[in-house]
Amino acid sequence: MYQFDWSILWGEGGRLLLDGALVTLELAALSLVLALVLGFLFGVLRWSQIGPLKPLCWFYVEFLRNTPPLVQILFWYFSATVILPAGLILVLRDYGFQFVAVVFALGLYHSGFVAEIVRGGLNAIPRGQYEAAEAIGFGFFQSVRYVLLPQLLRIIAPSLVNESVSLIKNTSLALAIGVADITYQARYIDYASFRGVEALTAVTLFYLVVCTTIAAVGHLLQRRLSRHRRTAA
Amino acid sequence: MNWTLVFTENNLRRLLIGDWPKALGGVALTVELSLIGIVLATLLGFLVGYLRFAGPRPVRWAAGGYVELLRNIPLLVLIFWAYFAPPYFGLEPTKFSSVLVAIVLFNAAYIAEVVRSGLLSVPAGQIEAARAMGMSSLQLALYVMLPVAAYNTIPAMTGRYITLLKGTSLAFLIGLSEVTEIGRQINNRLLTAPVEVYATLLAIYFCLNRSLSAGMRLFEDRRRFNRIFCFWAPR
Repeated sequence: MYQFDWSILWGEGGRLLLDGALVTLELAALSLVLALVLGFLFGVLRWSQIGPLKPLCWFYVEFLRNTPPLVQILFWYFSATVILPAGLILVLRDYGFQFVAVVFALGLYHSGFVAEIVRGGLNAIPRGQYEAAEAIGFGFFQSVRYVLLPQLLRIIAPSLVNESVSLIKNTSLALAIGVADITYQARYIDYASFRGVEALTAVTLFYLVVCTTIAAVGHLLQRRLSRHRRTAA
Repeated sequence: MNWTLVFTENNLRRLLIGDWPKALGGVALTVELSLIGIVLATLLGFLVGYLRFAGPRPVRWAAGGYVELLRNIPLLVLIFWAYFAPPYFGLEPTKFSSVLVAIVLFNAAYIAEVVRSGLLSVPAGQIEAARAMGMSSLQLALYVMLPVAAYNTIPAMTGRYITLLKGTSLAFLIGLSEVTEIGRQINNRLLTAPVEVYATLLAIYFCLNRSLSAGMRLFEDRRRFNRIFCFWAPR
């Protein structure tokens, strides 16, 4: 029978896992920002149905959503040296080339999903709302600020929270190109000390705590947002 | 761009079937893994989803716990559990079975949620009508709840199956020679054409997933769906 030795989680092993946890959270935060920016941009473009952009937006969303994030990470990482100019690569090296590649790839991957969420949210706002905003003399920015955004955010907030949870889980793929996130550290501890089960348990708990916390915050947010919701009935 | 380096006869054969007949790999293994995974995850998902919806209270809690646990850890961590942990306890699972177990457990949790929301969306009038006709609980479940819920979940299921297929790519991290692993091997041998190799991989997955959604669209014909998946229900 296997003898557990949890002391591996204190001292050296614990320090490695903590370092890894920080890398995981950094990866998640940076790629979430990228995913939201690109996702809103492409979501609005897809919704607007501007003729020449239609095929481009369709391809962007469908291609990102129908290919594995892992292969996308490998693609951007191995292609970067060919595609990018040499000078830029030298600069990126200083910031951790692999890290930047994962942030870029994951941000792009999830922006495809965010774009679809944003488009769905925009489609769910009744046309009458825009007409009403125009009728009471709102300009473009006023309509967006007081009519469009409040409703849009209320509709898409739960989906965006789900997407963030999925993004955090996908940061574990970073180990494929050698970024030392928390999953990578668990493998390293296994190689170094044959204490893989203890390390994996710690990593599993880490993801569980982070993901359920975010899901719970999302749940609270949803309750708060729908509290002010008023309908004709 | 140097596509001729990538598209040699040998490379294409390896991408499609791996080293078959010695060992099946490549696209064929990805498809095999995905299809078996889809079938098993759907069955387990329906079981867990139904128990979470209609089981006795402790069973409902257990099913809920399963869903929340599995949905909040990464698939990769599950694969590592299934592959690296058993040897510590004296078991030696194959790479294929480890990945399959992880993929099925992970995706069944999501499918259970899809099934539960499908069951919740069955109109109350239909349940009351079935009761008024004198159906037992079992009849109600088999003839009304499950067929209606299953049909309504098709779009969500399609999305989940695509995620499942994308997830099979993680198998290469433990060295299972599905299509991503074969692509990596080809890239390591060539060293000069990473864009071409990985673009090919992306294109392969894109085609597989588009075919999968096209296949699922066939079941949106309600009569075909009922004939295949609800053959036990009287029509």
